[in-house]
Amino acid sequence: MADKNKKRPKNLDLLHIRLPIGGVVSILHRVSGVLLVLGLPLAFLLLQQSLRSPEDYAQVVARLSSQPARALLLLTTILLVHHFLAGLRHLLLDLDVGISRGGSRISAWLVLAGVAGTVMIAGGCLFL
Amino acid sequence: MRSMGPRGSGSAHSGLGEWLLQRLSALYLAGFSLWLVARLALAAPADYVAWKAWMTGGVTRLAFALFFLSVLMHAWVGMRSVFLDYLKPLWVRFVAQLLLAFGLLVLAFWAVQILMVEAAG
Repeated sequence: MADKNKKRPKNLDLLHIRLPIGGVVSILHRVSGVLLVLGLPLAFLLLQQSLRSPEDYAQVVARLSSQPARALLLLTTILLVHHFLAGLRHLLLDLDVGISRGGSRISAWLVLAGVAGTVMIAGGCLFL
Repeated sequence: MRSMGPRGSGSAHSGLGEWLLQRLSALYLAGFSLWLVARLALAAPADYVAWKAWMTGGVTRLAFALFFLSVLMHAWVGMRSVFLDYLKPLWVRFVAQLLLAFGLLVLAFWAVQILMVEAAG
């Protein structure tokens, strides 16, 4: 029996099996959530420092204006918007909205489209 | 080893509570985010004085207090469900949850400090 199980085909070739789009959006919801939690201490630090004194405030503004900080802000925006929209999608699925196969595919694509749209707006605000 | 029920660890009755907590905190976080973005986009505080004045206002402080509470609870439930799915050895899961609990507790005290000191005027 153990031998028989060992001979089962392992089909992890990513060209053969593909996570459905809803699964992609769902796993990215988790990834973005974990990354956002890891970013919380930095956000707390910046908020606290910005409220201490005019000099501290100016320093936070200067730090956030640098190119690497802008890139980090754009990444944070992407993570937040994705987590927000994918979370909204999950809440609607809880209410049986868009629960059909076609509906859940469409909403998954809408999430990605929404992220792409906000990335362009946020990127324009941050880098242009 | 003693069998520990369907979730592998944790109490048998905490599931529904966590499910509800995750969704209620999600709703608050969503509303708070929209409010914050709209407020900052429509009338961004121009300098330190305006920023400080806004952040020390009663409504803002209350909104941020609820935000801190929601985000820490949301992080706890969300990270825990990730741990439960991907960290299989029980001791690894235990250590991860311990570190998470400690980290979120530090953030909670930190949030109280921000609200009571820096955002207290």
